[in-house]
Amino acid sequence: MAPKKLRRARLSQELCERLSRYQITTCQDFLCLSLLDLMKVTGQSYRNVQKLLCKVSLACAPKMQTAYEMKVRRAVNPSSAFLSTSLHGLDKVLHGGVPCGSLTEITSPPGCGKTQFCIMMSVLATLPVSMGGLDGAVIYIDTESAFSAERLVEIAGNRFPAYFDSDEKLFSMTRSIYLYRELTCGSVLKRIKSLEEEIISKKVKLIIIDSVASVVRKEFDTKLQGNLTERSNFLARGASLLKYLAEEFSIPVILTNQITTWLSNGLAIQADLVSPADDLCLSEGASGGGKRESGSVTAALGNTWSHSVNTRLILQYHDLPTRQILVAKSPVAPFSAFFYTVEKSGFVLQDGKDQTNLTWEGTNPALQNIKPATLHLEGKLSSELTLISEREKKPRAPAIRSFSGGNSLGCFLSDHWDLPARAGQK
Amino acid sequence: MQRDVGSLPLAPALRARLVAAGFQTAQELLDTGPCGLSKEIGISKEEALEALQVVRQECHSDATQTAGAPGTSRKCTALELLEQEQAQGFIITFCSALDNILGGGVQLTKITEICGEPGVGKTQLCMQLAVDVQIPECFGGLAGEAVFIDTEGSFMVDRVVDVATACVQHCQLIAEAHQEEDHLKALETFSLESILSHIYYFRCRDYIELLAQVYLLPDFLSEHSKVRLVVIDGIAFPFRHDFEDLSLRTRLLNGLAQQLIIIANDHKAAVVLTNQMTTRIGQSQSTLVPALGESWGHAATVRLIFHWDNNQRLATLYKSPSQKESTIPYHITVSALL
Repeated sequence: MAPKKLRRARLSQELCERLSRYQITTCQDFLCLSLLDLMKVTGQSYRNVQKLLCKVSLACAPKMQTAYEMKVRRAVNPSSAFLSTSLHGLDKVLHGGVPCGSLTEITSPPGCGKTQFCIMMSVLATLPVSMGGLDGAVIYIDTESAFSAERLVEIAGNRFPAYFDSDEKLFSMTRSIYLYRELTCGSVLKRIKSLEEEIISKKVKLIIIDSVASVVRKEFDTKLQGNLTERSNFLARGASLLKYLAEEFSIPVILTNQITTWLSNGLAIQADLVSPADDLCLSEGASGGGKRESGSVTAALGNTWSHSVNTRLILQYHDLPTRQILVAKSPVAPFSAFFYTVEKSGFVLQDGKDQTNLTWEGTNPALQNIKPATLHLEGKLSSELTLISEREKKPRAPAIRSFSGGNSLGCFLSDHWDLPARAGQK
Repeated sequence: MQRDVGSLPLAPALRARLVAAGFQTAQELLDTGPCGLSKEIGISKEEALEALQVVRQECHSDATQTAGAPGTSRKCTALELLEQEQAQGFIITFCSALDNILGGGVQLTKITEICGEPGVGKTQLCMQLAVDVQIPECFGGLAGEAVFIDTEGSFMVDRVVDVATACVQHCQLIAEAHQEEDHLKALETFSLESILSHIYYFRCRDYIELLAQVYLLPDFLSEHSKVRLVVIDGIAFPFRHDFEDLSLRTRLLNGLAQQLIIIANDHKAAVVLTNQMTTRIGQSQSTLVPALGESWGHAATVRLIFHWDNNQRLATLYKSPSQKESTIPYHITVSALL
């Protein structure tokens, strides 16, 4: 996606040479100049400059399609428009499943099942089209080292026992899932840039990044000056690269996110006023005087990131072991909620307790309240979120180890709170 | 005729030569003729002829402007404007409360900006408008076509199909109730297929493609003269990252706004833009404000802000030259925005 050189815009040779003397070599530089600057630089009259502008614009502008052509193209290949999640209720609401060609985000408190969902989708993508899959390879970028190949095989064997009846089939499925472990923001970005060629050569049909938030939050501390802008830049650049890949190859992209606390009356933190200040995280100033701010838990990475993703699914705790999956943001689906449990075969929807609110509930997807798993712990840990300083004073409650759902406070320092291996559920 | 040579839209080098040779007014140039000019300045006869043609055209358009001829001039009385505005149509949104606060619907020849948080319904409204602009005149619509420029990739054809199907059904119900000749005739051409074929979709991936597309829009609109709506979904997205030079951004945005105003006026089209919200950190609290800065606020004539109030979606008319500020609730259903 490097900017196009002017030579390829069919401008004459001498004009290109003259422009390169002023350091204008790409279409980008050309279009950014004002008309008077262009007249000076090209030495041409006003009308000629307008004609040149049209020529260069023609080289850069996108192709037109009518909505009808798009619909026909989708109708010709209906299975290629969505990746079915094999959860019937969810698929119905989403008009088919996880949409191809756009970004889908899964957010949840730790231990709710994001990685499980990603592993399940990887299996589904490798299935043949007749079974609802995409018959292709999967690229799995793992930043938390949470991917477990054994769990992959377990889900495949238990969910589709009729199809994966031989070891041969299981191995060929695992061969088509390419796992990359990236541990820094820079390497993630580099990996995404290199994906274009891999998608073509390996016939990839699904990209999963698990998780975006962990690697971003390790490197950017939003309390420091300037970090907020850099973080937003990184996220925006990553999002536009992924959108380009998703649309160009018409494949789904699944990203996972973490949660953060949003304090309802906001904080004045050190931030550049130019950039959007998204993640209002807890800072020492808030805990002044031991006063507790009432806050709510919501998806991390801020407002701008919520604009960039097209679909947002939220997983949250309900009454253990049941959890809930919410469709918080989708261009085709209304706000809906389903109950599910995590079994050997992956996700299983609870049909009886379907709560499909096909009307207009729900709220701002960037601020949607998420329930962390606090409901079952009484005594020392309250159901409200406590601030870091207060939490450090309390000893780790022993109840957590036996609590198979993972972290109860839902705070974002996931390094400390990462899940131990859950017996029977991993 | 007395126009100064320095102000003519010629190539700078040529202009410099003319001034150095002592020419002062356009009349002098015209009197000299191409051969004399080429000898005095030292340019070829073809170049001289070209320059004279430019000068002649400039002076001609100047003359018609001073004479007050209609068409090319942009001068008219307020009475003419009033008549024009009253005869002009609106693009209805099918949400009567929203139409009321807008004074009838989205106005033609004006830029309307829709700001809102993610997921609140901006793209839904744009898709709705792209269908509503095509309603035939006998049903109260404009029978126009729509250009949809998408920078975020949130245009979903399936959703447009839902909205268009509902719109066609709505018109069919009206036709059955009234049973008039022209209603039935209009319905023959107003089908799902025709609606979708008249939405011209452009996917711009970065700000360069967006700038290029807006430069090419006037030609496109001259070819497709029935276009009455230009939607740019996500004017903020390409300008919010990768821009170290903020003054360049402001200049490009202002240029874009000016071009869109010219397009809206010349082709009698409505321009609808969607914007994102950003957080502004204040002394003790932070508020959500429309993105792209303060100077961008001047670009749009009408500004609508969509926001949430717990579970209810609200639309506020934030800036309008003719309607007063008000807030209304709305819902998004399968078929439309209500």
